[in-house]
Amino acid sequence: MNLVRSYTKAMLTNPSLWFWAVAFMAFWLAIGAFVESQGVGQGRSTILAYTTSWYAIIVLFSLSMLSVAISNSMTYGTSALVYAFRFTRLRPEGYLGSLVGGSAMLGGVLSFVLLGATTGMFEARFRVPLWPADPVGLVAVSLLAGVFFMTLSVTLVLIVINYLGLRSSSFVGFVPLLLTFTLGEAQLYVALPRWLIYASPFNDLASLLYQGFSGEPATLVLGSSSAVLDWVWLLTAIALWIGTLTASSLLLLRRVRARQLEEGRQI
Amino acid sequence: MDPGRHPVAVLDVRGLEVRFPGAGAPALRGVDLHLNREKMVVVGSNGSGKTTLLRSVLGLVLPTSGSITLDGRDVGALRGATRVSTNLAEVYRLISLPVRDLAAVVARLKGGDLRELLARLHEFELDEVLGKRLFKLSTGQQKIVGDLFAVSFHPELVLLDEPFDNVDFSRRRRLVRLFQELPAAIVLNTHELELLRSFSGWSLSLLFEGHLLGPFSASDLDRLFLTRGAPPDALASMETSLGTFSVTRDAGDRPVKSATSLNALVEALT
Repeated sequence: MNLVRSYTKAMLTNPSLWFWAVAFMAFWLAIGAFVESQGVGQGRSTILAYTTSWYAIIVLFSLSMLSVAISNSMTYGTSALVYAFRFTRLRPEGYLGSLVGGSAMLGGVLSFVLLGATTGMFEARFRVPLWPADPVGLVAVSLLAGVFFMTLSVTLVLIVINYLGLRSSSFVGFVPLLLTFTLGEAQLYVALPRWLIYASPFNDLASLLYQGFSGEPATLVLGSSSAVLDWVWLLTAIALWIGTLTASSLLLLRRVRARQLEEGRQI
Repeated sequence: MDPGRHPVAVLDVRGLEVRFPGAGAPALRGVDLHLNREKMVVVGSNGSGKTTLLRSVLGLVLPTSGSITLDGRDVGALRGATRVSTNLAEVYRLISLPVRDLAAVVARLKGGDLRELLARLHEFELDEVLGKRLFKLSTGQQKIVGDLFAVSFHPELVLLDEPFDNVDFSRRRRLVRLFQELPAAIVLNTHELELLRSFSGWSLSLLFEGHLLGPFSASDLDRLFLTRGAPPDALASMETSLGTFSVTRDAGDRPVKSATSLNALVEALT
């Protein structure tokens, strides 16, 4: 039993998610295209590297909004989950599978919409064609990114729900966003150690998105001429992360506890 | 073997105590309840523990002590028992969708026919709510939708928490008829003593400060009295923060039928 269609519909018809994951990100893309681009050189490769870096990071920011939405939704639905696993046909595996399906779809849709916004704005600014080199690869990485952010947020919020109480749940939803900001942004400016980039799922995804868009291998500092990263290792690392987080989500879902919403009230 | 196919004949609650962290007194104290394919109304004032009792049976509250079994199986170990249902709104917050889509999800999860639920909603003149999300409905509409979710898809045990709250008179009457005619065991919580006349033939239990007294017969309402102390002919007694009270038959301090609520009845005796 799975509810992929229902969850996909719930995600795609969530106006708040569209605002924060698309409209708000489009605003930042506009900043990147028209404000922060003043010092960017005129060569196509420079423009492509600059545009791709923005796209890769913005997709991750956008999907971290999905993490916030999923964390919130689970916080509100603890009793529903406990009830559903006991008194309906739904199993933790089916529920998680539904979220995986919905998140992958959403990852693909958000990535596609942001791709349109990115190419539209940056082409308008630089007057250079900027269509991605590997659209299929880009979609595939976006699906993985959706699943990664979903499993990460489910794991984090279930640790809070099961063991810490709802008071921390309002904050834990922002952890993926903060990690995206810290690690993803760092790769734009600093040469992080190679092992850290491979170990960090945020940098794995940013690097793979970069490669899918630009057609060039990602580098330690995205868009620079620093050392090249191996996409096989990047892909292997993100697959391992998704596998680990899926397993932990499932274990935690099987132990989910019903919590009263009022527990989460902060003040 | 699909546990959802098992008939849910017997609900057995023994020595159930629930104590919430930080709360002074337990919410439920040594509750015993046995239900065998019958209908029971549990009457208690606000805060008496009615909802906690239902939430415990559903596994939404962990007991401090005691046991809860459905057909001999611990409620914590149940999986796929689709024949148990409830009107508690919190269990339908699995996904945020309009009522029509949510109903389709519930029908799939329960293995039922969506048309049955849609027909009931139509019968209660609730077609207008189908395109709205639950939180956009009035309190009364939310309650009826929860009630109808609970009674649909051939349940065998239905747990109803205050099913008439904020529901208009005409629909209350229709709900009472629906509950009466439903071929399922029911535990129905209410704080309204005057509603008991609608449930003649049902078992009756009284819940006060976490103590469950009963079962009696709702048909005997006119013969039941609440009495201070514990006379030898008492049907049941309880120790409360206000002293000891008993339910007696045909004679006693205050007739149960005279009160609007259990609290008012106890207050009249203190």
